[in-house]
Parts: sequence; structure tokens; C-alpha cells
Amino acid sequence: MPPRIRLRPRALRLRTAQPSSPLCASYASLATATTPAPSIDTTSAAPPVLRYPPTQPPSHKPPEVRKTQLHRTYQSVLKSSPLILLFQHNNVKAVEWMSIRRELATALQKIDAERVKNGQEGLIADQIKFQVITTSIFASALRVVEFFKPEENTMDHVQHPTDPRTPTSAQIPQTSNSPEDERFKHGLSRRAWEVASNRKLKSELEPLLSGPLAIVTFPDVSPQYLKTVLSIVAPSPPNFPAPRRKATPSYYEPEVQSGLQKLMLLGARVEGKVFDSEGTKWVGGIDGGLDGLRAQLVHMLQGVGGALTGTLEGASKSLYFTVEGRRMDMEEKEKGEKPAE
Amino acid sequence: MITRFLTDVRVKFNPFSPRAKPARLFLSLIPPNARADGMKVETKMLPRTSTEPATLDVKFKDGKELKLELDKMRIPEVMEEVDRHSRILARKEELTGN
Repeated sequence: MPPRIRLRPRALRLRTAQPSSPLCASYASLATATTPAPSIDTTSAAPPVLRYPPTQPPSHKPPEVRKTQLHRTYQSVLKSSPLILLFQHNNVKAVEWMSIRRELATALQKIDAERVKNGQEGLIADQIKFQVITTSIFASALRVVEFFKPEENTMDHVQHPTDPRTPTSAQIPQTSNSPEDERFKHGLSRRAWEVASNRKLKSELEPLLSGPLAIVTFPDVSPQYLKTVLSIVAPSPPNFPAPRRKATPSYYEPEVQSGLQKLMLLGARVEGKVFDSEGTKWVGGIDGGLDGLRAQLVHMLQGVGGALTGTLEGASKSLYFTVEGRRMDMEEKEKGEKPAE
Repeated sequence: MITRFLTDVRVKFNPFSPRAKPARLFLSLIPPNARADGMKVETKMLPRTSTEPATLDVKFKDGKELKLELDKMRIPEVMEEVDRHSRILARKEELTGN
């Protein structure tokens, strides 16, 4: 058996490329004529080529696994829904889930119909979803959404299209096809992961994120819809009464009721702020929603304006009366003094 | 966890405290049809600012009551405490042949 010699093709090539090797005949004229093309790394303005599909920038964790995709989904859920209700579900059966979702959908459709009748906009009944989440992945996605804030735009380091050295006018980010690149700003990038794995940063929602969880996501902060959802899923008599037995007999089916017993409202995340169940009920109890709040504010400001003008006028009026009274007084005194002289 | 000897479960906790985890996990250990089979489960949610410890009150079929403070326990310890009496009841039931 011949001795094993490791073949190193790269080393061989380097040696043969040297012009000083005695075996190689050198032609001076040819050597000066051919200039090798500069490699991509050395040129200052490489032609901008996107080295990954535009919708799939390289991610820190393998992108094909379910966990990564769930992480991405939860990030988009957290970014796109300003109002999220958090529930704990204790061994709710599939049939019970189905019937609770059915009740929720019918109640929300009624609200939609009511809004159409009143000519109001913002019909979001079919976008309000009640979904079970994977708690740990949701917690991680929440950390990314709350703490990873890439300030600069990805397009900031793009080659300028009017630069004569760039062969194309297309604006293409010059990020390389490796997850180590610091310039990525998508939620699955390595930088996002590094920021989110900093344990010193604490989010308010963290203690809630343990055990089996389900979320109700709203695409808009609408107290009217929130009130409906609360009265269906977490009824509490004075403000959020459960629907009447006569109006909706299907709500009192055993599947729905036994399912509702196992759901606990833990809290809510409204516009990035965390509320407990009392706070959630307060948000749901705002009459008329945002429009109602605006009307209240306008009314209050009008009242303040009237009172303010009254107050300001009052001060000047009293000053006027005082000064005037003093003048009259002095005039009387002057009149009184003159005859005495 | 043996839950068939429990008749009454009362849990009180503040969900925003990290020490409420065993209380919440205990609730998730109750089987899906336990409430239909006659177990009473009462959950009381404390407001966010309260510092009261999470508590668990359990009543067994023979009338014994068990009160646990959950804020310094982990869920395996809670299960152990509850199972200790449940196992006695299970053995008694086995011996009487029911």
C-alpha cells in the first residue's frame, strides 16, 4: 500500500502560479498584457446582488423547523394586534374549544351587524381570533418584539443608484448571505436573538407566560368588541353579563359552559401596556369606544374653556371694580377736602 | 396526580406574581371532565398589586381538608402533599373491594 499523502490542491496551485518556478517558461510580453480581474472583495463598488430570496433573509435558527415559523408568526401577531387578551386554559377539550369559538363568532357577527346598521366603520368581527399558543415560543417572540428595535433602515447602506460605479439602478441591500451579518433587522436574525436573550431586560408580561395559554387577538382597540368578548368568555354580572338564555340558547349548552369553567382571564396587553383582569374590564367598559372618549374629552375641554374665560374675566372685572371704587372714593375725598380749604 | 379523591379545590393567586406558577399548574393538572364528575373548583384571582401568598385548599372524599401555601413550593412538592392522602384513600378503597 502506497503511503498516504494528503493532496492539497490549493497549495499546489499557489506554487505553480509563481512565475519564479524554474519549470515554467515566462513570456514577459504576455504577463504584462493580461491583468487579472479584481476579486469582488477588493473592489469598492461591487455590483449589488441580493444573495438571498427577498422574502427569506438568513435566520439565526434553521428556518425550516416549526419552532422558527411559530416564532415568526407570534412576532407578527404581537406587532399587528394592539389588544391581546391572555387566558389560561385547563384541559379544554376540542369540542369545547369548537363551541366556545362558535359562540364568540356569532356574538361578534351581531356586533358587526349593529355597527353596519348605525353606519359605523371598523368591522373587525372576523379578524378577532381565539388561539392556543405555545407559551415558551410566545414568550421569546414577545421579548424580540419589545426589546429588538432596529433603528436604521436596511436600505441605508445601499449603494446609491446614481453612483457611476454601480451597474444597476435597483436598490438592493448589501447584506451578505450569512446570519452573522449585523445589518439584518428582521425578527429572526441573529442580532434580534442576541438582543432578546439578554436576561437583564424584563418585560411586564413575563410572569404571566407560564402554563397552558390561549390568546384573543384584536386588530384594533375597540371597547365594544372587547366588551362582547369578555361577556362571552369571562362573564362577570354587573358590567359584562353573559347573554340571556332566551336570546342565545346555544350559549347554555353543556360543552360551552364546561369549557368556560376551565378558562381563566389572566390579563391583557393593550398598546404595549399590561393590564390585569380589572384593568381589562376597565378598558372594555369605556362607553362608545374611542369616539366616545373623544366626545368626552371635547365636552370636558369646552367646559374648561368656558370656566377659564369666566375665571380670567372675573379677575379683571374685580380689578376694574376695585380700581374704580378707589377712584370714586378718592374723588369724593378730593371733593370733600376742597370745600374745607 | 391522583385527583379522583378530591371533592373541592380552592385556589387563590395573583397571576402577576412569579410565585403563582405552582397554583396555575395545579389547576392545569385537573382532568378535563373532573368538574362534570362533581369536583368543585373555585379560582380566585387577586389584583395585580396584592402581595398575598398563593394558597390552595383541597377537600378529600373522607372530609379531610388540606391547606397549602404555594408561594414557596414547587409543583412536584404540591403533588406529593396532595397525593400522600390520596394514596391512603386509594389503598382503603382497594382493601374494601369497591
